[in-house]
Amino acid sequence: MRLEHWFYTIPLRLRSLVHRKHVERELDEELQFHLAQRIEQEIAAGKTPEEARYAALRAMQSIEQQKERCRDTRRVAWIEEFFRDLRYAIRHLTKSPGFAAVAILSLALGIGANTAIFSLINAVMLRDLPVKNPGELVLLGDGRASGSSDDFARTELYSFPFYRQFRQKNRVFSSTSAVLSLLFKRMHGEVGNGAALESIDVQLVSGSYFSMLGVKPILGQSFTEADDHPAGGHPIAVISYSWWTRRFARNPSIVGKTVTFRSTVYTIIGVAPPEFFGTSVGESPDLWIPASMDKQISPGWNGFNDKMFEAFYILGRLKPGVTVAQAQANVNIVARQIWRSYAGAVLSKDQQQALAHAHIELTGMARGLSRVRGEFSKPLLILMAMVGLVLLIACANIANLLLARATARQREIAVRMAIGAGRARLVRQMLTESLLLAIIGGALGILFAFWASHALLGMVSSGPETLPINVLPDTRVLVFTVLVSLVTALLFGSAPALRATRIDLTPALKEGRGAVPQASRSRLANALIVLQVALSVVLLVGAGLFLQTLVDLNNLDTGFNKQNVLLFSIDPAGVGYKEDARLTNLYQRIEQKVGAEPGVRAASISFFTFHQGAWDGSVIVEGHTLKPGIANDVFHNVVGSGYFATMGIPLLAGRVFGPHDTANSPKVAVINETMARQFFPGASPIGRRFGLDSKHSADIEVVGVVKDAKYLSLRQKALPAAYYPYTQRPGYYNDFEVRYAGNKRAMIAEVRRAMAEVDRRLPVFYQNTLAQQVDQSISGASLVAQLSTFFGLVAVLLACLGIYGLMSYAVTRRTSEIGIRMALGAERSNVLWIVMRQSLLLAGLGIVIGLPVALGAEQLVSKMLFGVRPADPVSMAGAAMLLLIFALVAGYLPARRASRIDPMVALRCE
Amino acid sequence: MSKPSDLVQGTLDLLLLKILALEPLHGWAVSQRLKQVSGDILQVSDGSLYPALHKLEQEGWIKAEWKTSELGRRAKFYSLTRLGRRQLEKEAANWERLANAITSVVRLKEA
Repeated sequence: MRLEHWFYTIPLRLRSLVHRKHVERELDEELQFHLAQRIEQEIAAGKTPEEARYAALRAMQSIEQQKERCRDTRRVAWIEEFFRDLRYAIRHLTKSPGFAAVAILSLALGIGANTAIFSLINAVMLRDLPVKNPGELVLLGDGRASGSSDDFARTELYSFPFYRQFRQKNRVFSSTSAVLSLLFKRMHGEVGNGAALESIDVQLVSGSYFSMLGVKPILGQSFTEADDHPAGGHPIAVISYSWWTRRFARNPSIVGKTVTFRSTVYTIIGVAPPEFFGTSVGESPDLWIPASMDKQISPGWNGFNDKMFEAFYILGRLKPGVTVAQAQANVNIVARQIWRSYAGAVLSKDQQQALAHAHIELTGMARGLSRVRGEFSKPLLILMAMVGLVLLIACANIANLLLARATARQREIAVRMAIGAGRARLVRQMLTESLLLAIIGGALGILFAFWASHALLGMVSSGPETLPINVLPDTRVLVFTVLVSLVTALLFGSAPALRATRIDLTPALKEGRGAVPQASRSRLANALIVLQVALSVVLLVGAGLFLQTLVDLNNLDTGFNKQNVLLFSIDPAGVGYKEDARLTNLYQRIEQKVGAEPGVRAASISFFTFHQGAWDGSVIVEGHTLKPGIANDVFHNVVGSGYFATMGIPLLAGRVFGPHDTANSPKVAVINETMARQFFPGASPIGRRFGLDSKHSADIEVVGVVKDAKYLSLRQKALPAAYYPYTQRPGYYNDFEVRYAGNKRAMIAEVRRAMAEVDRRLPVFYQNTLAQQVDQSISGASLVAQLSTFFGLVAVLLACLGIYGLMSYAVTRRTSEIGIRMALGAERSNVLWIVMRQSLLLAGLGIVIGLPVALGAEQLVSKMLFGVRPADPVSMAGAAMLLLIFALVAGYLPARRASRIDPMVALRCE
Repeated sequence: MSKPSDLVQGTLDLLLLKILALEPLHGWAVSQRLKQVSGDILQVSDGSLYPALHKLEQEGWIKAEWKTSELGRRAKFYSLTRLGRRQLEKEAANWERLANAITSVVRLKEA
């Protein structure tokens, strides 16, 4: 019914709009036809043509009125009026290009900044994975942990054997898949028979991964469940669309080509669709390989068949009709059965406890996993609030400008109202002008956001490559921008429009300009200025807060010396080294060779440096009773003997490792202060022993104690840590760090050359300096600090512009008054003071209102952001001072102009 | 010719739809036909005919087509749409209900 209605009416309305002239001609022709018929009839009835015509016209009443009534039935008048208003608005704006430029630019900046931050929020926090029915996907656990673990009944990470059993036994998922909890970044592989090693990101997944997500390859095929066994039996790969594009220029005959990692040749069997980047926002694997190949990809791992090697996430797709609560109940029952079967006939006390505490929470996976989300959600929300305030300030500014313009147009408006224009109609017309401004501002804003969101992405990305997150505006972002623009137009447009049309006609039509409710206009204008200043204070105080926090973080004692250290990574496994004495020997030769280079102070191999991941686990100490849970967790690292010298971590007691710590000598460890205090309280830990598991409960001797050093992040509290020499733990340790003096660039080249002399084939990658590594670990904090400073300054600038505009306008209006005052003997300094007083008053009022608001906002923020310290009175006073000074400058310029008014000229102009 | 009775509120639409249901007509013919079939009792004034027709057109109940009239002049002929036919049925039923109700009130015998 409705549809059919539109079927007839929409073409008619369109026709009325588009072919207006034609429709009008038809209307005229129709009425003329009727008129002619009537005249003929009247003549036939015996009237003269004259009389007939007259009678016919009278019967028709007025032809024009008929037409108007017919037009009214078309219901497109408002559209026509809108376009008329729009044309009028364009004419009006082009007449004052200065105003238009200021308004449009500040709107573009405000809307653009909002759009840019929102596109990031959208990409990181809101957007669903591009897979089939993402709402049905859940993850076992919260997805926060990554890496591997060997704890009993771990609830965030699972072994592959666990996954296999779980897949069969659960009753709530139509399909499940497992994905390794970490991406193998920068694997070194050969494409085809290419001579050079390339850096490739690899993700291990179960055979069901693609089919479970409902992702169909655009070329070739993807994995099947048959790829889940036997171990090592499926050297195949699905590549990402972006890698296919980057590396192969979308070569259509890619299927069947090969990639070689660690002497295993993988055949490419398919290409994933363009929108699919995996299941983790902020990561984008170049290729996916079946989990059954894990030993080939990472020889140190044995995750595929080891029940206790917990390194996978498990994803499930809920069966239709199954709720998350039902699924969670079943998942926990099944998991408990599986874990129970892993333990012996009799559970140890620890195991009992672990089992009793184990509870798997299901997490919705619609938006995918994301480490970036955890890191940047809060900073992004805070920034969103800040740019929202900036836009509000811009709105207040434009509202003030419009208000001034409306006053200038008062006579015009009064005339139009006097001859019958409705107030609503006039308001609508003025709002059209605001809308036009907002639309142009919004359009420019989108362009600005397009650039800015990429710049933002660059700022939050750690490392040389930007985070692989798609921040291109999608429908949601565009809808957001349009809404923001509309709301903005209403915000800055409605008050001036309402105010301008609320006039007393008689005085406004009379000569005098000032008879109109001037007082109420300037009250509104003053309130807008106060609002701007108050909001600027909030932003400035916020910026100060974030800057202080950043400075605090930068001044924090890391426990190591971050200056003059270069970080490299090597990949001995990539060129065939096995985890044996030859590998250890390679490490030693590298350390010796590079360490002997001129300018090199110290060099060392290590498992990790800072902010690169961690290996943590419980330890057993003789004479130390263990508390259950993670209280016994120690962060482990495996290092060369030069590590402490390279990192600049001071030795407090005992010794560091030396050449006498070999594979055959007694096992030793260096521990940090916290570990010493926590596990060996009261006495010197030197000479004491501990172990990593019950079978080796006391085989490691503590030989030294070093100062605490940050491990994962700057904000973490002191954690117990232990270091072991790599000579006693053969394995792949791919970090290599060099403390140097002199030129960085030359040093990088020198290290590469020295490494090549040790083993020409060994892939060596320069990562970063240690200082940069530290900076990147706080990129969230520095992002917020930099942007809030920027937006704080923009806010102050806008507020000053507002004060300047208002004062200039006031001075112009009061020219004659000032002239009289001066003619009556007022000093120039008096005049200066009159004008300055007002701007100072407004700024002062704004500051007085803004400071308590800022304090409240600060409470909110420090709750949200861990480690933000409350702003001190100094920074509060600083923000207030800064604003006052700017307000002084902004008020001084018009005030000086006022004081230079020539009384004669001023009096004559009225 | 006596002054035609004022049309009951809202019945003009019904009359126009009914007239056009018989055959497509132009505006002039509509007014003549109405007069003719009602025995000169019902007459729509020249002043309200076209706004009413245009309203029906904009509602999608009738559609217009330019054709040559019987006198060889181009004229705008209106005809009923499917929607209009349904509207006519509805309004006719309404009218009948109303007319019956009024009739039964009018025929009440005085006690």
